[in-house]
Amino acid sequence: MTADTASPPAPAFRRELPDPTSVRRTVLEMLYRSRASHLGSSMSLIEILIAIYGACDVDAIRARQPGRDRVFVSKGHGAAATYATMYHFGLISGDDIATYHLDGSLLAGHVSHVVPGVEHSTGALGHGLPVAVGTAIGLASAHFDDALVFCVLGDGEIQEGSVWEALLLASHHRLRRLIPVVDNNHISSITQTSKVIDMAPLGDRFRGFGFAVHEVDGHDVAAIGEAIEIIRHQDGPSVIIADTIKGKGVPFAEGQPVWHYRSLDDKSFTAAMEALSGGSL
Amino acid sequence: MRGRIFEALQARMADDPSIFFVTGDMGINLVEPIEECYPERYLNVGIAEQNMIGVAAGLCNAGFRPVVYTIGNFLVHRCFEQIRDDIALHGYPVLLIGTSAGYDNAPLGPTHHVIDDWGAIRNLPGIDVYAPASVEFAASVLDRVLSANRPAYIRVAKGSATIPGSDDLVVDRPGSGSGPLLVSYGALAGECLKAQELMPELSVLILNKIHPVDMAALAPRFGAHDRAIVVEDHFGHSGLYSSLCQAVMESGVDCRIESAAPPLGFDLVVGASAATYLLRGGLDAAGILRRATAESSVREEARHGYR
Repeated sequence: MTADTASPPAPAFRRELPDPTSVRRTVLEMLYRSRASHLGSSMSLIEILIAIYGACDVDAIRARQPGRDRVFVSKGHGAAATYATMYHFGLISGDDIATYHLDGSLLAGHVSHVVPGVEHSTGALGHGLPVAVGTAIGLASAHFDDALVFCVLGDGEIQEGSVWEALLLASHHRLRRLIPVVDNNHISSITQTSKVIDMAPLGDRFRGFGFAVHEVDGHDVAAIGEAIEIIRHQDGPSVIIADTIKGKGVPFAEGQPVWHYRSLDDKSFTAAMEALSGGSL
Repeated sequence: MRGRIFEALQARMADDPSIFFVTGDMGINLVEPIEECYPERYLNVGIAEQNMIGVAAGLCNAGFRPVVYTIGNFLVHRCFEQIRDDIALHGYPVLLIGTSAGYDNAPLGPTHHVIDDWGAIRNLPGIDVYAPASVEFAASVLDRVLSANRPAYIRVAKGSATIPGSDDLVVDRPGSGSGPLLVSYGALAGECLKAQELMPELSVLILNKIHPVDMAALAPRFGAHDRAIVVEDHFGHSGLYSSLCQAVMESGVDCRIESAAPPLGFDLVVGASAATYLLRGGLDAAGILRRATAESSVREEARHGYR
């Protein structure tokens, strides 16, 4: 991990965290059952979401307390990963998870606020961070000074101009409780982000906007959690850039843009589950 | 008009700590007292309207009731997806105040003509639209909207038209005879009243709330006339003409609805003031009178903008 600050305090997770392999298995079952897409973007997100929910007071989220921590998943197409992680944190029931993407379910293929525990519906990109910034400003105005406001963004998503409008405002107001987390999986919709709009060096772009930058291995829950704990004790705007692999854990999908769209059939589902069975992630 | 709304806003903010004012760097000589009195509930997001709407939604998430202010074109056209996804979809009680309605910004050109704003808004579920025709209604609109606790858009024109007794949602000014019914809102309500002064048998119906239309309440007024002319500074095909055509037809009332509205297009020839554009479109009092008294073939031409 590289960070703009030194001497990180010890991680302060409040509970035993779910095993990423178990969450990935849940995602595969959800996607296979409904023949849904977005496998790649869900798999890159898993450790990020585990670390984020691990840093939150989940009971306060469940009770919808006014001063609760907030989790905005701005890359709304990461719905399967979001719901699977929430399930493993006890925020969504197994019965509900089994309905994902199916007739009559409230669990659509993009994150929806009708699901208890979800803060905001997303799907059109570039919306989550402005909402998170507004929430952080509102919480500060209401003197809920301890609540963290997470916003998970894709590295393709941050091509949207509204993201940078929101970053400018967050920086100007030095929002220290807002934590944007970029799932930097290097692939946007149909190809590698470097071929479309190369954002490298991404950290410098955020530094130029006034953010302290924490660049971490996005598949290392402890490293992400450590960055969150540093930010929790910092006094200024910070961002986490989590370097990830799209499709992580499913060998035939890793780094393959087509798995943004493709759904699992019997053969690919079996192969994916077998790849995860070793628990070597 | 804006001054009355800001007076009401400042008074309301004193009583209601949930109201949070957000501006897109607009409102010079209007917003300063709010910033001074309520700095923790005042936010200038800068020239970044998309972000402004998202921020307003976030303020709702944190328990506030945002009042968002900027020029109507920046507010609606630039932010349509944010209004759809972040406000309407969530049912957040954000109050959008868009200024410079119609041709208020006349010589600034088509980018600043607000003649196609609320037609877009009315396509979104759950957002009420108000268009004050007078300072009397402007003074009360904020309380009405905030009491409703729903998303709302207030379309505000410049000026300070005074229409005594016009602080209700619907203002009825029956004529002395069986002339056509003029239906209008916002700045053009005044032109309709001028036309009525010149031809007293005209009736005038002013709608301070233009969406959704309460046809159950309005049906008797339309039923009393065989012709109604909808006078507006907004494209008729997506404006009040359109919604009244539908509402009147569905209500079964036998009344022919005609449109007096800007022709569908961008007017690239400068008009030094709103009056120029009203004159061009036949939307001034004299033009309204011509339409009211025209034979049917002439009315057809006027309705389609073939002038």
